[in-house]
Amino acid sequence: MIKVSNLSFSYKKGGAPVLAGINLEFDQRSTAIIGQNGAGKTTFVKLLKGLLKPDNGDILIHNVNVKMKTTAAEMAGTIGLVFQNPNDQIFKRTVLEEVMFGPLNINMGKIIAERQAIQALKMVELDDKLEMNPHDLSLSEKKLLCIASVVAMDTDIIILDEPTIAQDIHGKEKIREIIQALKDKHKLVMTIIHDMDFVAENFERTIVFNEGKVLLDGDTRYVFSQKDILREAKVEAPGITQLAEKLGFKQTILTVEEFIQMK
Amino acid sequence: MLLIAAKVIRKTIPVFSFVFLVLITVVIIQGLFKPENETALFQIGPVVMYKEGLLYALMITLRVTNIVSSFMILVLTTKPSDLVETLVRKGMSPRIGYVIVSVFQIIPEMISSMGTIMDAQRARGMETEGNLFVRTKAFLPLLGPVILGSLINTKERAMALEVRGFNSSAPKTYLNEEKTYNHSRVIQSVMLLLVVCAVTWRIFV
Repeated sequence: MIKVSNLSFSYKKGGAPVLAGINLEFDQRSTAIIGQNGAGKTTFVKLLKGLLKPDNGDILIHNVNVKMKTTAAEMAGTIGLVFQNPNDQIFKRTVLEEVMFGPLNINMGKIIAERQAIQALKMVELDDKLEMNPHDLSLSEKKLLCIASVVAMDTDIIILDEPTIAQDIHGKEKIREIIQALKDKHKLVMTIIHDMDFVAENFERTIVFNEGKVLLDGDTRYVFSQKDILREAKVEAPGITQLAEKLGFKQTILTVEEFIQMK
Repeated sequence: MLLIAAKVIRKTIPVFSFVFLVLITVVIIQGLFKPENETALFQIGPVVMYKEGLLYALMITLRVTNIVSSFMILVLTTKPSDLVETLVRKGMSPRIGYVIVSVFQIIPEMISSMGTIMDAQRARGMETEGNLFVRTKAFLPLLGPVILGSLINTKERAMALEVRGFNSSAPKTYLNEEKTYNHSRVIQSVMLLLVVCAVTWRIFV
């Protein structure tokens, strides 16, 4: 779906590179990008989305080079991005209008846009607040609203930047369901995240970024078994994985259920 | 001279070029058309320049240059936070001080949040790049979130200030130590004397 070759980028011309020599290919496996702050994760997804232009290298999405599309808005129908801070992306006066904003921009008809919007809002259980002002929602609801407003655009690729921020168990469960529903529709779900338990439970593939380079890439189970490399990237494996390892389990454990079964 | 001594003369060039552009028009218009114009100074073809108008324009030019230069010295050599801290030390209310500092802070903040919001709009398919019409169309819906965002920030910031004891009545400790120079008192006194003299001269002479 996405092919990245030899990608490098720096914010200032001739300045220190934020990303250097990235080569990656993405299929339909749900993918988590992890790494310490400043590792280049957000910059990378902004490049995928066309919000930034690479200094070198190419990004092909569905075999179309992102460079050839002149603006990020043209990419909006193919790739959706939910930003970290919901306050930066709420523009409209009611919840329904907010979710319809994206679909209408990518030339969906009004009726279809509304249907898509209500469907997405049902997914995040905000369909009873259609006429509310989005700014009156709680932070976790705002975050869910932003997810819904990108899901409604029905793009093939969806990137979530820190989706679990400000979410309680119920909210996380809802996000889990959304990710599963998107996977079932054969969409590529990607996330940037610091919540390792959530990664272990929900994502098939994990990529570790460190200082603008890909340090590790593979199945989530394989990645969390590489203790030394994780330490180098200043990333910790999920608590349950560490516990199992300290108890002497040979296999890498990712979830509590697996742990119980192994006992 | 002070501008050169403070090594900021280079930064004043764009401001002065604009100011002088305006002043040149003043010189031309006053030189040609001031009602009191009597003494012709020189003539270029059919255009006659008069002495009274030119002198008057010269006075305006000097005044403007003076005002602009002193303003530039203040802006380019003094950090707003230093200025406010000193004023608060001299007895100004810290609340007013904070208002002044936050005005200086809010502009870069608004610019950066505008960038983020614009990214979010582009991410959802709104065209913000292109010709003037497209950009204007994109700019208007931007105002809502930017202004609302800064209002929300203000509320949060007020609470953050409150929980950190901004309104406490105990005397405050200053972040920076007060810089005192031997000659500053002399300069201050001379400046004060000059102001008094100038005002008296203006009123009585």
